[in-house]
Amino acid sequence: MKNRIKVYRAMHDLTQEGLANELGVTRQTILAIEKGKYDPSLDLAFKIARFFGVAIEEIFLYGDTAERK
Amino acid sequence: MKRNTFYLLAGIVALAEVGIFWLSVDLERPILIQVAFVLGVLLLYAARRRVEDRIEDERTAMITQKAALRTLEVFWVVFFAVSLGGAVAAFSRPLGLRPPHPPLDPNATHMLVIRITDPDVLPFDLFGRFAVGQLVLLCLMIFLYVGFRMYYARKYGEWDTDEEQD
Repeated sequence: MKNRIKVYRAMHDLTQEGLANELGVTRQTILAIEKGKYDPSLDLAFKIARFFGVAIEEIFLYGDTAERK
Repeated sequence: MKRNTFYLLAGIVALAEVGIFWLSVDLERPILIQVAFVLGVLLLYAARRRVEDRIEDERTAMITQKAALRTLEVFWVVFFAVSLGGAVAAFSRPLGLRPPHPPLDPNATHMLVIRITDPDVLPFDLFGRFAVGQLVLLCLMIFLYVGFRMYYARKYGEWDTDEEQD
């Protein structure tokens, strides 16, 4: 699953460590999600979207949506 | 407690367990290592709860679950195969686990059981072999688990580095 976490992190001037602390996960988890190695649970995905104040589909791109964007 | 302090403590506990194991063998007191092992595990669980750095989340939990499940899937087959072999070895004797009794002497008034072996040497009998076999299987299980853990950790990005870490 593709995502734009890195872009949103850059917009908010946040490091992976900072975002991980905000969300209560490890830095490696943020890194793994950014690299597409780990698909977060729906709960964590919503937490990320809520943290950045956007809709979940703005950050996570799945299947055909990812191709179109 | 910092994460590295916890790992250091775990190493010290492991070393202490090895020492207590030898002491237990030397004193011929199995209860020593048994109690020390349980206490060591409890100590590490307690220390783990005091680690301030986050070391677990949903991804690490998933890695642990997958590794544990795969280990179980492989290990139950190995364990079952070894146990079947043990059962066949046991039941292939006339009385199962014990060798047949010697014929009774009708003239004897007392039955004396005399060990022919050296009394200072503990015979490596069926029970000893069973214990060692269990330890070997346990080690195999731990190796399997660690192997699967490393595989899934790599798959789900446990040791990845990026520009922020460099």
